[in-house]
Amino acid sequence: MFSSFVHRFSSPKSYVEITRKFFPYISLFGFLLLLIGWIWGLAFAPEDAVQGNSYRIIYLHVPASIFAQLVYFFMSICALIHLVWRVKLAAYLIKSAALVGAMITFIALFSGSIWGIPTWGTWWQWDARITSTLILFIMYLGIITLHGSFSNLEKADRLMSILVVVGVVNIPIIKKSVDWWSTLHQSASITISDGTSIDPSMLYPLLISIFGMGLTLISLGILSSKFYILTREKNKKWVQSYV
Amino acid sequence: MSLIAANRISYTINNKKLFHNLSFTIDAGSALHIKGGNGSGKSTLLRILLGITTPSKGKIELLKPNTKITYLGHKNAIKNYLTPIENLKLIFHQSNLESALDWFQRLGLSRVQDEISANLSFGQQKKLALIRVLAAPADLIVLDEPFVGLDDSSRNLLNKYLQESISTGSSLALTSHIRPEIISKELMLENFSND
Amino acid sequence: MIKIFQSEFFKLRKKLRTWLGPLLIMVLVLIAFPLSIDISQYDLNRFYFSIIVVALLMISFLSTEGIFLEDYEDGSLEQVYLVEQDFYKFVLAKVLTFVLLIGVPMAGIGSVFSILNGISINEVPKIFFMMFLSNLLLFNLFAFGSSLSINKGAILGVLATLPLALPIIILLGRGVRTIQHGIGFEGVMALMVGSGLLVASITPLIISATLKTHLE
Repeated sequence: MFSSFVHRFSSPKSYVEITRKFFPYISLFGFLLLLIGWIWGLAFAPEDAVQGNSYRIIYLHVPASIFAQLVYFFMSICALIHLVWRVKLAAYLIKSAALVGAMITFIALFSGSIWGIPTWGTWWQWDARITSTLILFIMYLGIITLHGSFSNLEKADRLMSILVVVGVVNIPIIKKSVDWWSTLHQSASITISDGTSIDPSMLYPLLISIFGMGLTLISLGILSSKFYILTREKNKKWVQSYV
Repeated sequence: MSLIAANRISYTINNKKLFHNLSFTIDAGSALHIKGGNGSGKSTLLRILLGITTPSKGKIELLKPNTKITYLGHKNAIKNYLTPIENLKLIFHQSNLESALDWFQRLGLSRVQDEISANLSFGQQKKLALIRVLAAPADLIVLDEPFVGLDDSSRNLLNKYLQESISTGSSLALTSHIRPEIISKELMLENFSND
Repeated sequence: MIKIFQSEFFKLRKKLRTWLGPLLIMVLVLIAFPLSIDISQYDLNRFYFSIIVVALLMISFLSTEGIFLEDYEDGSLEQVYLVEQDFYKFVLAKVLTFVLLIGVPMAGIGSVFSILNGISINEVPKIFFMMFLSNLLLFNLFAFGSSLSINKGAILGVLATLPLALPIIILLGRGVRTIQHGIGFEGVMALMVGSGLLVASITPLIISATLKTHLE
């Protein structure tokens, strides 16, 4: 039953049609939320007692870090669907999500690095969390490169899915081992304060920007997947009539 | 009795159709000659028969379990840093090895037995690779352009072997631009236009 | 299974460049490193191990670079598939052959160089065993990388699997430290044996699926 469900809603054609309906709302709503979250966070939220104004980069950094991992998680679900039911759409979505994921992971790294200057006095610190984010970024690049290397695209789809699944099994192992490794030079690293101890006046704009960032990324993903699907299926009749 | 049944199989690569809705059977003791122009998907069809490639649509069924299949495609599966005899020893064991060495002589390869395979000519390598099919009895023999590169005498030997195998109940599927001297069903693949 | 293993062993033994080359490179790297730094200023013993560890990492992806390439290009994979219907045994035999013929000597070389850098003779079996196990893990992992990229060169496979290799390096580094400090060796060892067995039995399944995909 589940498999027939998957197949019914998984034709690239119906995906493009459905997303076309929702895209304007999602993208507009996401953009507005992000705008509200950022203006509130940058202009109206109070100054941090310790870090002053520099902490305000969390309104970019924290959402980016969260979605850096969530995007990979989404890709691995798609990869499983692609491997088990051979659903083409799932592979198209992985390919498009990988681009978005690499971008947002880069933003997470870069914003963290900028934040590092005033707080740690250095661009880069071999902290566990940063190191595993860097590894995640390289994994995204590896997936994109792998897919780009094969002229037989069906083959590329499957190989990419296998790598994504193997990768998701490894993410907790990487995190765990990097944590384990960094406990050796804990004295050098500064732990970032947990989100729970943050003041509500800073927290609300943060939650809004996380939500807004999520919707914005979804709209970016829809755009890039739509473009990709139309390129991949350009020989199909429905694409020709669509375009 | 049918050995393999193909039911409405299609194959698409990068969303381009190679062939569409093919149905046929291969019976025990019969041969199927797959014809068609370059790029019409003959080799792909053979690989689908072997179960190596999965058709995009439709089903290919092996009707008899444990069907023994021998295959020679475009690639010879010869290790070019080993001598021909070492290559045969990797493929065959015991009784089959004797029969393989026997074919080795009949195909006139004894002269090169101490060379490494990289030094063999194209035709000699092809013959060496053919021994994989000749020396192992099989229910289904699948050959992709087996006559290319062979001299007349080897071609006759191969034709005779295939004829004998079919008369003892084996089946054969092959592609060939050179008409095989074997009575066979023909399957014509047309170049599919993608309009 | 034994037959497959024997033929894999025979083939690899015949390819001198494939198995001896990486070993020689490893020796050269381990000699070159001390020459490249000013010994009077650094305490070489303290971090020579990390060079051995990085050498293990580099040499193991170098040596597994073309592990399936030849069989893919000459059509042997198709023939294996027709007989076995999958590649599990074939991959298992091949990776183990590589570990035996390249991984074990690499662990040996690593151990010898660790004596030269101040490890006592008694500790050498521990070092050797640990390097052997990490090679088992690394070879499986890079064999997977190489099966993904197959004929597209080493860089792709490394890019795809190097991030996954980092936990192994961390584990090995941790293990070396337990030997230097004399505590906690058994714990790290148990973890390595466990993960080694798990990875060495599961990875061939994944590689088998990957190779099948390449034949399609």
